[in-house]
Amino acid sequence: MEESREPAIHVAHLVRRFGPATALAGVDLDVRAGEIHALLGPNGAGKTTLIRILAGLTEPSAGEVRTSGAAALVPSGDRTFYLRISGLENLIFFARLQGLRLRAARRRAHELLADVGLAEAGRLPVGRYSHGMQKRLSVARALLQTPTVLLVDEATHDLDPEGALKVRALIRDLATQGTAIIWTTQRIEEVRDFADTVTVLREGVVRFRGSVAELIARAPEQRFVVTIRNGHPDRPPDPAQLQHVLSGIAHVSAGQHEAGQFVLVPSKDRTLGAAFVALATSSYDVLSCRPERAEIEEAFMALVSEGSG
Amino acid sequence: MTAFAELAKLPAFMRRDMRIALSYRLAAIGGLIAVAANVLVLSLVGKLVDPARLPEYGGSRASYMEFVVIGIAVSLIVIALVTQVATAIRNEQLIGTLESLLCTPTKVGTIQAGSAALMVLTIPLRTALYIAVLAVVFGLRFHADGILPGVVVIIAFVPFLWGLGLIAAGVILTVRRGVGALTLAITGLGLGSGALFPLSLLPHWLARIAAENPLAITINALRESLIGGTGWSPIGADLLKLTVPALLALGAGMMAFRFSLARERRKGTLGLY
Repeated sequence: MEESREPAIHVAHLVRRFGPATALAGVDLDVRAGEIHALLGPNGAGKTTLIRILAGLTEPSAGEVRTSGAAALVPSGDRTFYLRISGLENLIFFARLQGLRLRAARRRAHELLADVGLAEAGRLPVGRYSHGMQKRLSVARALLQTPTVLLVDEATHDLDPEGALKVRALIRDLATQGTAIIWTTQRIEEVRDFADTVTVLREGVVRFRGSVAELIARAPEQRFVVTIRNGHPDRPPDPAQLQHVLSGIAHVSAGQHEAGQFVLVPSKDRTLGAAFVALATSSYDVLSCRPERAEIEEAFMALVSEGSG
Repeated sequence: MTAFAELAKLPAFMRRDMRIALSYRLAAIGGLIAVAANVLVLSLVGKLVDPARLPEYGGSRASYMEFVVIGIAVSLIVIALVTQVATAIRNEQLIGTLESLLCTPTKVGTIQAGSAALMVLTIPLRTALYIAVLAVVFGLRFHADGILPGVVVIIAFVPFLWGLGLIAAGVILTVRRGVGALTLAITGLGLGSGALFPLSLLPHWLARIAAENPLAITINALRESLIGGTGWSPIGADLLKLTVPALLALGAGMMAFRFSLARERRKGTLGLY
């Protein structure tokens, strides 16, 4: 696909105030056709406000917002359908508002219900749908016409892993067809292998903008939860002794949950392997090891806590 | 998007509203029972009313039931249509679908018109059916050749109600809870309409003002054609009288609604309820 020079979504110096509160304080953002751009941030960061402005539901206080076409929206809430009528009828209605004739609307609605795994539930009133089903229906509605811009606000929040995977696959397909996508999520880890670029917002300010790899590179340190045994099952290893063994290699502290579980942070330029070798040399067995938080989550936490008291 | 494309969306709204209405069958039956009870009460009250005190239409003196059935029919139109137009958008806001609608490439005017389209289209039919059923049940004498002129009067009256509904919709969208004010406005309109009693019973100054009330004009025109059998001859003047308030109300309503929607977007409170 030939890349367009112009971004499909262009946001410059965007400001939105609600009375004395500033929800967005000079946000810049560009998303190209075919790109999935993840928008991360803690609650109150301004993600939903940005999405609503891009969807035309809220006006900005200042700044420039431009999209290459009408934006389709998958809203975060599930109060977006007529609960008394079926999912199929809801999709047909919205398809006709998109300009499809009745027959085409019905055909498209059936196709999309199958795509999001709601073919069997299509004739049930939406009021009987679970949160997850309504969310999938919401994704189906956004895909009624292949949009040039798609804004997805917390689409996988209520979904089980299989449902979330299905939705991400649909979105990925759409990006392949050239749709520019903004994807807000609280599931930091899902951004890996899915999004192309990331913006991290905190209190309406962009704290990071770049690729997922660049975000991961911002992770300050990796912390590992390790289970260590010293040959005395009833007497767990002493943290002070462990720290002595790992001196200059890693910092170790007692874990919060189980005896024998420790949090290990390799020192700068030292590896986890070096820590394991030192422990093995001193007759300690490492029974298990896992990252305390994913690297991407570490990077996110570091970015959103920078400068906060 | 062309005007034709926008117009083509109206059947989608009607299909949606029809399906939603069918899902509330019990409410519809309850509404019919309430109207029937109302009519029964008035039929009993009517036995106390001296027909000599009622006005003549086309030289014919009506019974109280003939007089009041037309008044009630038009009042029901007012309540149904104004309430529908005024609360349709509010309901969308409450159930959360307003923003979904506004995210589609559909003009605000189409959304407004679509939300009331089913009601507007079915009102002349429902009114005719209502009057016909009561005429049979109570043995009322109406002129069949007055039906068509009557329908034309109702059609001419609809834009006025639509305009009032749009004004009310704008107010409700802004202040959220405006149904009380809406009820008050409809009551005021009804009081000066002559629906249940002749306007001549009002104080002279009030009767003169009430005579210019579009609701009173419509009711009077319907009585002339259905009770008096005056046909098409007096309808022209009534239609002319209805045109000015209809245009004013419709224009003011569209402006009020657009203004309040723009205000909500500006404030970022469109989704609040």
